[in-house]
Amino acid sequence: MTDIKHKAFLFDATRCIDCRACMVACSVENQIPMNKTRIWVAGIGLKGEFPNLTHASMVYHCMHCNEPDCLSACPVGAYSKRPDGPVEYDPSKCIGCRYCMNACPFGVPHFDYDKGLIPGAFIDKCNLCPQRIDFGQGPACVATCPTEALAYGERADLVKEAHARIQAHPDRYVDHVYGEFENGGTSYLILSHVPFQELGLPDLPEKPIKDVSEEVMGFTIPFALGWGAVITAVAAGVAIYNKQAETREKQAETTAEDAEEPK
Amino acid sequence: MPTTLSRRDFLKVGGAALGAAVLGQFIPPRVAEAARANGLLDATNSGYIPSMCEMCVWRCGVLAKVQEGRVVKLEGNPEHPHSNGKLCPRGQSGIMNTYDPDRVLTPLIRVGERGKGEFRKASWNEALDLVAQNMLDIKQKHGPEAMIFSSTHNLSQVQFENLLNAFGSPNYGTQRSLCFNAMIVSNLMTYGMEEPDRDYSKLKYIILTGRNLMEAISTSETSALSKAIARGAKVVSLDPRYTKTAMKSSEWLAIRPGTDLAFHLAMLNVIISERLYKAYFVTNHTIGFDKLANSISTYTPEWAATVTDIPADTIRRIAREFAAAGPYALAHNGWRTSNFVNSFQTERAIAILNALAGNWGVAMFPASGEESGVLGAPPQPPYPRASAQRLDGVPWKYPFVPLKIGVFQEMREAVISGSPYQAHGWFISRQNPAMSLPDRGRTLQALGKMDFIATIDILMNDTSWFSDVILPEASYLERYDPLNIVGDKAFLRQPVIEPQGEGKSALWIYKELGTRLGLADYFQYSDEEDYLKQQLAPLGVSLDEVRQKGYAELPGENSEFPEMAWSTPSGKIEIFSSTLDAGGFAGVPQWEEPPVPKPDQFYLLTGKVAQSTQFGSQNNQLLHKYSDEPRLWMNATTAKNLGLEDYDLVEVASEAGRIQVKLEATQAIRQDCVYMTPGYGHLSKGLKTAYGWGSSDSDLHVTYSDPISGGQALSQTFVTVKKI
Amino acid sequence: MKMKLNVDMEVVVQERLRVRPLVIVLLALMGIAFVIAMIRFVNGIGAVSNLSSSYPWGLWISFDLFTGVAISSGGFLMAGTVYILQLKQFKPLLRPSVLTAFLGYIMVVVALLVDLGHPERILYMMIHWNHTSVLLEIGICVMTYLAVLAIEFAPVVFEGLKWQKFAHFIHRFIMPFVILGVVLSTLHQSSLGSLLLIQPAKLYPLWWTPILPVLFFISALSIGLAMIILESSLSARYFRRGLESHLLEKLARAIPVVLAVYILVKFSQLVISGDTKYLFTSGMMSILFWAEIIIGAVVPMILFSIKRIRSNANGLLAGAVILLAGMILNRFNVSWLAVKHPDPLTYMPTFMSNVHYIPSLPEVLVSVGIFSFGILAFGLAARYLPVFENEQHETHSASGD
Repeated sequence: MTDIKHKAFLFDATRCIDCRACMVACSVENQIPMNKTRIWVAGIGLKGEFPNLTHASMVYHCMHCNEPDCLSACPVGAYSKRPDGPVEYDPSKCIGCRYCMNACPFGVPHFDYDKGLIPGAFIDKCNLCPQRIDFGQGPACVATCPTEALAYGERADLVKEAHARIQAHPDRYVDHVYGEFENGGTSYLILSHVPFQELGLPDLPEKPIKDVSEEVMGFTIPFALGWGAVITAVAAGVAIYNKQAETREKQAETTAEDAEEPK
Repeated sequence: MPTTLSRRDFLKVGGAALGAAVLGQFIPPRVAEAARANGLLDATNSGYIPSMCEMCVWRCGVLAKVQEGRVVKLEGNPEHPHSNGKLCPRGQSGIMNTYDPDRVLTPLIRVGERGKGEFRKASWNEALDLVAQNMLDIKQKHGPEAMIFSSTHNLSQVQFENLLNAFGSPNYGTQRSLCFNAMIVSNLMTYGMEEPDRDYSKLKYIILTGRNLMEAISTSETSALSKAIARGAKVVSLDPRYTKTAMKSSEWLAIRPGTDLAFHLAMLNVIISERLYKAYFVTNHTIGFDKLANSISTYTPEWAATVTDIPADTIRRIAREFAAAGPYALAHNGWRTSNFVNSFQTERAIAILNALAGNWGVAMFPASGEESGVLGAPPQPPYPRASAQRLDGVPWKYPFVPLKIGVFQEMREAVISGSPYQAHGWFISRQNPAMSLPDRGRTLQALGKMDFIATIDILMNDTSWFSDVILPEASYLERYDPLNIVGDKAFLRQPVIEPQGEGKSALWIYKELGTRLGLADYFQYSDEEDYLKQQLAPLGVSLDEVRQKGYAELPGENSEFPEMAWSTPSGKIEIFSSTLDAGGFAGVPQWEEPPVPKPDQFYLLTGKVAQSTQFGSQNNQLLHKYSDEPRLWMNATTAKNLGLEDYDLVEVASEAGRIQVKLEATQAIRQDCVYMTPGYGHLSKGLKTAYGWGSSDSDLHVTYSDPISGGQALSQTFVTVKKI
Repeated sequence: MKMKLNVDMEVVVQERLRVRPLVIVLLALMGIAFVIAMIRFVNGIGAVSNLSSSYPWGLWISFDLFTGVAISSGGFLMAGTVYILQLKQFKPLLRPSVLTAFLGYIMVVVALLVDLGHPERILYMMIHWNHTSVLLEIGICVMTYLAVLAIEFAPVVFEGLKWQKFAHFIHRFIMPFVILGVVLSTLHQSSLGSLLLIQPAKLYPLWWTPILPVLFFISALSIGLAMIILESSLSARYFRRGLESHLLEKLARAIPVVLAVYILVKFSQLVISGDTKYLFTSGMMSILFWAEIIIGAVVPMILFSIKRIRSNANGLLAGAVILLAGMILNRFNVSWLAVKHPDPLTYMPTFMSNVHYIPSLPEVLVSVGIFSFGILAFGLAARYLPVFENEQHETHSASGD
């Protein structure tokens, strides 16, 4: 996973002060309506009893997974992954089925429940600021973070940096870089001083969770053809058997009739 | 792409939806023209223009992204030392400050009763004439001192002061006594400067007394602290609340409010009695050490423990750790130090701690002066002598408070009492005293005593709501302001879009008003650009150049090593202050017992959140979107014992007033404290987003002034809380 | 319909009187649902439902899609039985089952038109294909199978219109469509289970398994059988027809077999995946699980193994209702009740923090209205089309013990 060359984020929960500059920057940069957001804070927050308290906050947005579940699930293929990493959403194909919202283990895609048919109800999520990263700027959230809790760059470099930080301060961090391998690896890597579940991150295996679904789907056509063949064979077989039974019955009848006729 | 703009394009660029251009009057888009001429905008009026933020007093440099004449995004200016390319949430929300639908875009003149919010639109001429007429009437009938001028310090302050000095009034109100007087006066007494600069890059140990840098974000300093923590520096946070700064600190001490002084006196006690101070530094660069050593012996950690609720061992250990880390140790002098009357003594103790750690030139440096003689200024005649006493008691009641800082709450009291004389008019610029002064009830009373109130503001904030004339200032993205020196550069604030409606810069307003007051000689600049050119004249650099880069470089004597000299009477760091001693106060820091609440009362704490700035940002829709609901913090266990639950509506009462507010039951606060974020509970219905959101702690604060620094003691108010 | 005048005249007259109030109620419910749907189209899904970012799928999917498709499984069962296995004695059950399925799938599509963000783009599933998507497969299968059902049901309509030639034409070429129908139904009945394969972290371990599609198919068979029994019983009572008890008794013999296989596969899966530890220790999840297994599988399996119950009209109906209740609970569990959506969010802007989901009244009324349409359509078809052919055959009194 670590040798995939593409863009990623590194979030260091020890530096996040929950100021929400990233959220304001994202809203402004991407002209998000006042009642929507692409980026939010999640996690348990404050833990303990006065005065023995701890706190953690994490800024959440699309993880830009290496093996995106939304992409796998969308029936009309509205999601695509750029070769350099960002997972993109194309509203022109979307039918609004919201299966991607179920599929995403991080609860990222959000839907316009307040829009009718004419304005159009679509999914919204972080698209990694292509209008910035394609012109040499960092994403809006990263660029503004006052404590550099967010960093942006090549995934391989960020993985190295993350492990270097853990090594330099082993008492400070949980010894794990979340997203390095989870769900097949994500492009949002996380360092934390508290267990990742407290940041609201799900416990995911290395094997991408879409694999089971895709493997089963792979059987569809062979199964359909095979099953169709079986049923056709059964139908034909039954038909032939019944016809033969009918013929035998008729023969038995005529034989009996013949036998009955006086000569 | 058209190479010349058609008339239609002009109108598109110049006319925003709000505040119509006068029909038939052609308003040339000067901003776009100038920016295009400087290569900042292309022919579609798109590009980046450098300017400066005004969402708080840190004033980070910004790069405003403009598209077709609208500002669409703000980035931190990497070349501005306060920003280094970052912006905090308020900085990022600046666009909705400029495009706030509740902007006041024409001059307004009151028609109904004061406080009803009934105004009519007026032309600039009518409004300015009316203001000047009233000010002159008051001057004639009662003397210029009957006109009080107040403004929260901002970039056009020099011209505000020019106006009031030229007018002849001594009555100058700034926000400072509500904020940092204790710190400023203490630094003046100790170091001979208002606030030394700080450098975190080498620090290993930092003590923060309050100074919630992770929520009261000063971008570059917050970043520096975060980097220090990331490097492994130890941070001790003294705060009765578990703030975001406490969360990032190595050690959080939930100190009893009002007792920071005891903690720091005990620190001094340990460092002195165990000889942990930097002797060479103390001997060569300070005076009065012996006098402190003689008086410090009673302030033991054991004594401090009984007062602060912090164990003696902890205090002793921290003192030793701090001293051992010196000179790479810093006791932060805080910023808003308007806590208790004894806050001044606390500040003195902190200032001296730094001297004992010998950190001058490592952690602390001479301040880079704002008032540098390096910039030019328009010529003007000398000011008339202001013969009257100042209403705020400076210097006759507060001998140590600098004139430019004043004691604002004292001035308000004098308005109510009419002593030593009655003020009749109030001119306010970029300030919201109706909410920022403690005890809002009394402030409204003071406003009621005015014959005339004029306000310069961009929104109908609470003070504007109660005014007689509102003069609309252009927002910070729409105007020029005088140059602002930061480090070795003078930064420019320039408009990035055409001003909406009829907003004008303060520079223009002061000159227009000054001219009508017969004070044209004091405003010898034809417009903002002329003013700036006069400022730039000694530097030999053109305004166009500065517009392009966003700053002018100053000729500097940048020596590597700071001078070991301080502007104190002795020329050294004054552990013992002869000035204080001569004034009849203790020359070394000494214990002053703070008041404590009764058993059924709580300390009412105030503080900051990252998503709001004092009393003016609450209408910003972007900040509102990402803010937590402002509720009264109370310790969850205490709340439970009182039968209170999260989100209950409670009544909070002090001797000044009472309010209703929702409760937030949290573990992040001492059991004897409650906390409210200031700035909510606006009275002005002209703030459609902010009105009705939260409640105001200004209604509860009792006015207490420290006799030495004039600082208001905001945390000395005690309240009862009961369920409704 | 011209039939024996004396007896049927009475029945017809009495039927007419009895039908009217119900028809009005059904029409009213349909009208309300229509109005709510219009509001949804103008003001958005949020205006009429409690769906949110945390719960993108709710009652409409659990009931109208999952349950709706499941209860339409009688159609392919009967088509397969009659045409492929050529068990002609079940013919009287064929048309009503096909009608039930046909109306069932129409109801599914109508519900999707309300639930989808872009109902006008529903046919995009026929032109934009992401071949890894389970939902695509379901979409294509459902829409294609609806066409197949239309073809299978067309002869009934043509006969009703007296266009016998068209009816016979279709009859002659029905076989490929029946085979296609069986294949399509197998695919999407199981794929409804596959929908949940991509949410292993969100569906409780007592339900999530890679063999969800297999379990769904097996249970769909049992649901189909139970639906045939239910539909026949209700039609018999309501339309005062005879009940084809002996046919149903034969069908019902298959149910315990199917359910036994289901229980075996289900519990083997739990053992193999090591999830048996959740069986009794999961609070509400355990209760829901055991409820669906006991009500939907164990009890009906026992009931339908007893010949006396199988041969008795009330026994058949009771058994079918119990099975359906349990299996519908299973569909609800898999699609909603046992699904835990992310709830680690302590701070969200207030407009997004809805982490609890109970269907709103308008949501429920939409589902009720669609269901009312189904009932009304079934009743009208039963009255005006030769759905129940060969009625002379089976006039055993329905109250036989």
